[in-house]
Amino acid sequence: MQGSNVKNKNTANKVIAFILLIIPWITYLWINSYNKAEPPLFGLTFFYWYQTVWLAISAILFAVAAVLIYWSEKN
Amino acid sequence: MIGIAGWITFIVLFVIFTLLGFYGARWRKGDLTNLHEWALAGRRLGTFLAWFLIGADLYTAYTFVAVPSGMFASGALYFFAVPYVATAFMVAMVTMPRLWQWSREKGYVTAADMVQDRFSSRVLAGLIALTGIIAELPYIALQIIGMQAVLGIMLLGVTKNVSLITDIALTVSFIILAAFTFTSGLRGATLGAVLKDTLIFLAVIALIIVVPLRYGGFASAFTDAQNFASALAAKHITWLGTGITNLKSVASLEAGYTTLWMGSTFALFLYPHAINGSLSASGKRQLAMSNALLPIYGIGLALLSLLGLLVYSDSGAMQMLSNFPLSSRGIYSIPALALTSLPGWFAGIALLGIFIGGLVPAAIMAISQANLLTRNIIKPLYPNIKPETETRISKWASVIFKFIALGFVFLVPATYAIQLQLLGGIIILQTLPSVFLGLVTKKLHKYALIAGWAVGILSGIYLVELANRFGPLSTSLFPVGGYLLWIGLLALGFNLAIAVILSIPTLFKKQI
Repeated sequence: MQGSNVKNKNTANKVIAFILLIIPWITYLWINSYNKAEPPLFGLTFFYWYQTVWLAISAILFAVAAVLIYWSEKN
Repeated sequence: MIGIAGWITFIVLFVIFTLLGFYGARWRKGDLTNLHEWALAGRRLGTFLAWFLIGADLYTAYTFVAVPSGMFASGALYFFAVPYVATAFMVAMVTMPRLWQWSREKGYVTAADMVQDRFSSRVLAGLIALTGIIAELPYIALQIIGMQAVLGIMLLGVTKNVSLITDIALTVSFIILAAFTFTSGLRGATLGAVLKDTLIFLAVIALIIVVPLRYGGFASAFTDAQNFASALAAKHITWLGTGITNLKSVASLEAGYTTLWMGSTFALFLYPHAINGSLSASGKRQLAMSNALLPIYGIGLALLSLLGLLVYSDSGAMQMLSNFPLSSRGIYSIPALALTSLPGWFAGIALLGIFIGGLVPAAIMAISQANLLTRNIIKPLYPNIKPETETRISKWASVIFKFIALGFVFLVPATYAIQLQLLGGIIILQTLPSVFLGLVTKKLHKYALIAGWAVGILSGIYLVELANRFGPLSTSLFPVGGYLLWIGLLALGFNLAIAVILSIPTLFKKQI
């Protein structure tokens, strides 16, 4: 029974990881949400700073996903 | 002018770079007559070094030259590079660890090795290898153009023979690069990558702080850019046509933006140099984590691309750029900004960063081309060659590929080489069905994959020609029903359709 618990946990981890991985795609595909100049940040228009900030967010989401997927397997 | 202090830091750091490159042979010593030791640094790079090395594949002249130059001339469309790097590493995270594991278990050095095994076809593997070799050539040429831009700015006003001295300096640099790649392989490139990226980070951070502070910030840069574009519009020249503060809100351009980043995302980790870097990681976790964290690297790319617009507010840099023809001005924008807004010694550091920022990727690209040539084209023809001979052929091939690219740059005008790189991206994307789908299934038929590949390549080239009305290449977007779509993705669509449809009969047969 313990074997199937481990397996379930791995599947759950992979589903969560998949969701985390897909979030940046949805963000960037939804171009109408960010293709505008307002509101600016330090004079930089929204279009540029929003997409740049999402690079940092993507890295965090991907790092969590990497742990979920690959730390349960043998290295 | 860069001044004596700038020249000194530039030259001293170049000497350090060269020494590091040769020292690579002794670093984490391995038997360099083995191909995986020479070409994959013995597969021993941890998270940190793999991050630098794979990052070095991203932070190339593409970043310093092609993207800022596109922002400078065409505008916001070229910011597609930002979503592109975010998602490209997600693709790497899900594909590369599996390829890494198989390559360790079965001794693969290239993606074509895997394709040959999966689909039992040396012809298909050979075609994948050939596609990789050809797609890398304009990419290396682009690196050289970035180095030319640095030298062109440094020599401005110093000598009248700028192009002759630039050619000599490039040739000398390439001889040094070829010599240390020959002796140290990927180890030398890795150490060079750490130095290069440290210098680049310093330069980018300094520039993004100094330039807006000195010249009135982004708002005034956008106004200056608008004025520049309006002055040209009066002369009927289209300039910054895709938008300045953001992308022009028209459906056709937004579709172009989206398909450009999506297509480039799938293309990046099909490039042999990106795969080569991935296979050199020391483990799956290290590889996955370094890829997960690589979007952070992209922040530097975002800042560099913004400098392509900030340059409009720096009248000194604009003055310097006016020495060059309008069409090639953009490639000089980052070097010119470094020179006008940083103190001489620091400008020397920044310019050297950009200069070796072309050299290091060129070395990795030539190594990966050489591996494809020996493993997937020469070896199938001469199956009995010894491992030492295989490595020797690779080492010499890496030298030859570098000089082919250099010769290419000497013969072909710079703007033309950048356009060919557009074509390179479209071509390399056509290896996706064999490589990425090969990682999850072997049910596709080898001849179906070959047919799909051929259709993808031919339709890609044809559509590029059609979109540019068979004239000089300036766009890689094709209008379909009011939307501009990146040709690479269109061709990939045809390619995938053929590969899947032609595989159906054999799938069916096996089930009976």
